[in-house]
Amino acid sequence: VRFVDEFRDAELGRVLAAEILGTVEPGRHYKVMEVCGGHTHTIYKYGVDDLLPENVELVHGPGCPVCVIPMGRVDDGIAVARQENVIFTCFGDMMRVPGGSESLLDAKADGADVRMVYSPLDALRIARENPDREVVFFAIGFETTAPSTALTLLRARAEAMPNFFVFCNHVTIVPPLKALLESPDLRLDGFIGPGHVSTVVGARPFEFIPADYGKPVVISGFEPLDLLQSVHAVLRQLGEGRCEVENQYKRVVPYEGNPAALKVLAQVFELRPHFEWRGLGFISHSALKLTDAFADYDAELRYAVPGVRVADPKACQCGEVLKGVIKPWECKVFGTACTPERPIGTCMVSSEGACAAYYNFGRFAREREVV
Amino acid sequence: MVVLEVRQQGTALCEGDVEVMTDLVGPVEYGDRLLVHAGVALQRLDA
Repeated sequence: VRFVDEFRDAELGRVLAAEILGTVEPGRHYKVMEVCGGHTHTIYKYGVDDLLPENVELVHGPGCPVCVIPMGRVDDGIAVARQENVIFTCFGDMMRVPGGSESLLDAKADGADVRMVYSPLDALRIARENPDREVVFFAIGFETTAPSTALTLLRARAEAMPNFFVFCNHVTIVPPLKALLESPDLRLDGFIGPGHVSTVVGARPFEFIPADYGKPVVISGFEPLDLLQSVHAVLRQLGEGRCEVENQYKRVVPYEGNPAALKVLAQVFELRPHFEWRGLGFISHSALKLTDAFADYDAELRYAVPGVRVADPKACQCGEVLKGVIKPWECKVFGTACTPERPIGTCMVSSEGACAAYYNFGRFAREREVV
Repeated sequence: MVVLEVRQQGTALCEGDVEVMTDLVGPVEYGDRLLVHAGVALQRLDA
């Protein structure tokens, strides 16, 4: 398959691994954060980390949409789902995310009409097919997913749909990166930039990282060779004393992103003053809400939601995992009390979650091999 | 995803029987390859 097979070539992978080995300085420890959960998934699915020298550490970032949703917002969604006459729709992963006392899947088992959808457009179709019911879409995700919600809302308004609503939890990628860069807990040398978010926002929003913090950023594709090339590019910048934004994923990501997508985002959404992130706390201007022009579709205005902040279970260390402070296997409940079948934390739910990626591909049980 | 059928209102049917919004990538034709996320095409892959 074009754009896939050539980026999974094992021999080329070994060549790149040798080049990476030749780039690093012995005795120096490198910490490179892969921002996107899709990258985390690829790294552990294909064992990309095993091809890296011992002194190159990949740190997982906050770019898994499901993982960063705080428990209180899950509870808010469940409260809406339990309203009479509501059909509550969400992506499949979101159904299993634990709230304060239950998940959406538990609520469904208890009688709430909760349905899994592939896209918000599916939710709009359900609204058309059920004019006597109110259909709510639980919108999550970064700038990659938000255009889909925005376009669906534009369609809903064009059709004057009276029974379609959005519970908006869309977040933006730059503010949490700034929060991480300001964190005293974490010393990072560079970033693997999020490929899919960048298809929308482009590379320019990441220029503050080299400009203000002196760290390289390489926007990366999602195949194993993409990631090896990107790690190599970060290390090469560090070795040459450079720091800039590079775009390894040029076959998909234009430097300026997708202007049409940015336009619909600006049309439908505005920044919230603040929003709670799991593990990162409240971050200013880090999430989206519907503009006044779309207030009629805003589930938070339509329904009473508890809006209560819920602390994570004491045993769960998703917060530290999301900040890259600890590795998944260092969490006290990883693989024992917390598994993909019975997750305690969000990072064990989504395939893009670091804990699920480790667990599903058996990395936690493997000894690291010396390259 | 590969476009199998162009529909009205900026939508196309793609492989896997998935309806995709194509407003953000301009007019599409049968056989076009698109990067799709959550039911919306974000970029063309053959550009």
